[in-house]
Amino acid sequence: MGRLFALGILGTIACAALASAAFAQAGSVTGTITTTAKSLAPVRVTIDQKVCGAELADQAVVVDAQGRLANAVVVLTGVKPFDSLTLAQGKRAAAAEPTITNDKCAFAPRVQIARPNANVKTTSKDPILHTTNAQLENGRTLFNVALPIAGLTITKPIGNAGNVRLSCNTHPWMRGWLVVTADAAVVTGADGRFSIDNVPPGTYELRFWHEALKSAPQRITVAAGKPTDLTVQMK
Amino acid sequence: MLVLGQTVNQSASAAESRYGATAPKLAEQQSSVGGPTPTTVAEMWSAWCARCHADDGSGKVKEPTITVEPMDFTECKVTTPEPDADWARAIAKGGPGVGLSPEMPGFEDSLTREQISGFVKHMRGFCKEARWPSGNANFPRPIITEKAFPENEFLLLPVVSHATEPSSASATDVGLVAVYERRIGRRAMYEVGIPFYNWDFQTSRASAIGDLAVAIKYAAYASTTTPRIVSFGLEATLPTGELYKGFGKGTVVFEPFIAAGTMVGDWYVQAHGKVELPVDTLVDRAYLYNVYVGRDTSAAPNTWTLGVELNGENRELWVTPQIRKGLTGTGALAASLGASIPVKYRGERVVSWVGYLLWEFLEPLRARR
Repeated sequence: MGRLFALGILGTIACAALASAAFAQAGSVTGTITTTAKSLAPVRVTIDQKVCGAELADQAVVVDAQGRLANAVVVLTGVKPFDSLTLAQGKRAAAAEPTITNDKCAFAPRVQIARPNANVKTTSKDPILHTTNAQLENGRTLFNVALPIAGLTITKPIGNAGNVRLSCNTHPWMRGWLVVTADAAVVTGADGRFSIDNVPPGTYELRFWHEALKSAPQRITVAAGKPTDLTVQMK
Repeated sequence: MLVLGQTVNQSASAAESRYGATAPKLAEQQSSVGGPTPTTVAEMWSAWCARCHADDGSGKVKEPTITVEPMDFTECKVTTPEPDADWARAIAKGGPGVGLSPEMPGFEDSLTREQISGFVKHMRGFCKEARWPSGNANFPRPIITEKAFPENEFLLLPVVSHATEPSSASATDVGLVAVYERRIGRRAMYEVGIPFYNWDFQTSRASAIGDLAVAIKYAAYASTTTPRIVSFGLEATLPTGELYKGFGKGTVVFEPFIAAGTMVGDWYVQAHGKVELPVDTLVDRAYLYNVYVGRDTSAAPNTWTLGVELNGENRELWVTPQIRKGLTGTGALAASLGASIPVKYRGERVVSWVGYLLWEFLEPLRARR
């Protein structure tokens, strides 16, 4: 029994060492998403102004002064499961159970990544009636739940039929997105940057998603121990 | 947007117990968060529901935030035929729960069953006119038994039987009755029915219309608290069918009838009796009675409903097992199929396949987008 135990310990250590070696050999994919599109004019609010304010930023296109695009999704195909990767901090990485928060009459975050068949939590910080209306891009409704008070959290499954568009039936300007993918994926931050670390060397396809803009997929080659950096413009 | 499937019925108590059982209590939730809390159903209606449905339930708001036009809850003829269970289901599950707009969200995770029940009661109050029969007594239509609740419907009722008597060789009789029903005022209804037949007559097939039927019906008793209803009516058939080919009775026949319905647990029980009084005294009177027992297999408006009827005429008796299904999410289109099997005089009577296709023409077939 003692020998078996010792063998088990040794085997575990060996596996951990091999895994560390593999990560040490891994590369990373970094980059910036840009666009020539401009940020949109704020939405004038005429409902629930005490909670929502008089106007809200239209987050459909969020661009900084250098033309860097936030809320774009970068998907690295062919690397599964993406839990094995370390998705860079500072970017909104995929969570096992994404949480949609109704905060000051906007979905926070506006865009996030969800796994196929994930359970999604929706909650509210606002003391007014919100609804979280989750629809596929073809218009089919997955669920529409009422959040009449702050602090209530409801969990619903999203299935695996594609990206999910979120809206609120009491505040028509509210939009949110769940980009559903089993691949490694990240959302760009306010600086348009993204980073996917610990990618095994090889050739991959990089896909880009944005709720209003498009860009063609790109083939990239990741080399061991160094980042593959690129700049992509979405139109 | 809250229009409810009409023909699936559960008792109010069943509706109360079905939804929201595990929902957190709002007062408890809110107390940990702070902020103003609507505490009564009326306050909740004003704070939440009135955004789309208006304070008075009319659905007319200054600044709509949805794309569908909400149902006018003050319109009694549209709202009263719906059973409490359908209202509760719409609140709990949202519009899709009753085949309607997904813009109506579900509240089953945020309201208790008592609160949902309170909302149903509140919404019932938007109809300010008295004496409308409660939709809790609006049971699924049996195939043969007359329904007591007045309806706005168009029906096609086919009857197909295949003769087994040796003397008839191989004969298949086909009948189709088209019926139009329309409510008058709060409790009355008229209907017109035209039968069409295609029978073996002597050596060839014969097709013709039968005796045209017109009827009026009045819901004399309809409880507002329990699902009970009793209606009286008078039907008259006119001799438009050819007597010698067997398509008609050859005389005007007056047919006073009574129809009643109630629920026993989850079971619908409906009964119907009538007397056929021919003007021509050479034609025999007939005494007919029908009893139906059935139940839904789920609370959805388009659920399957299983039932059985006993159908008696003078000394004859048939048993008619049947199955019914709503064909759209709202249940506004439905079909039923059954077999009418002779219990007595089995050597002389044959099995008939019976059924109907039903359209509640004032109800939406599905969600409007």
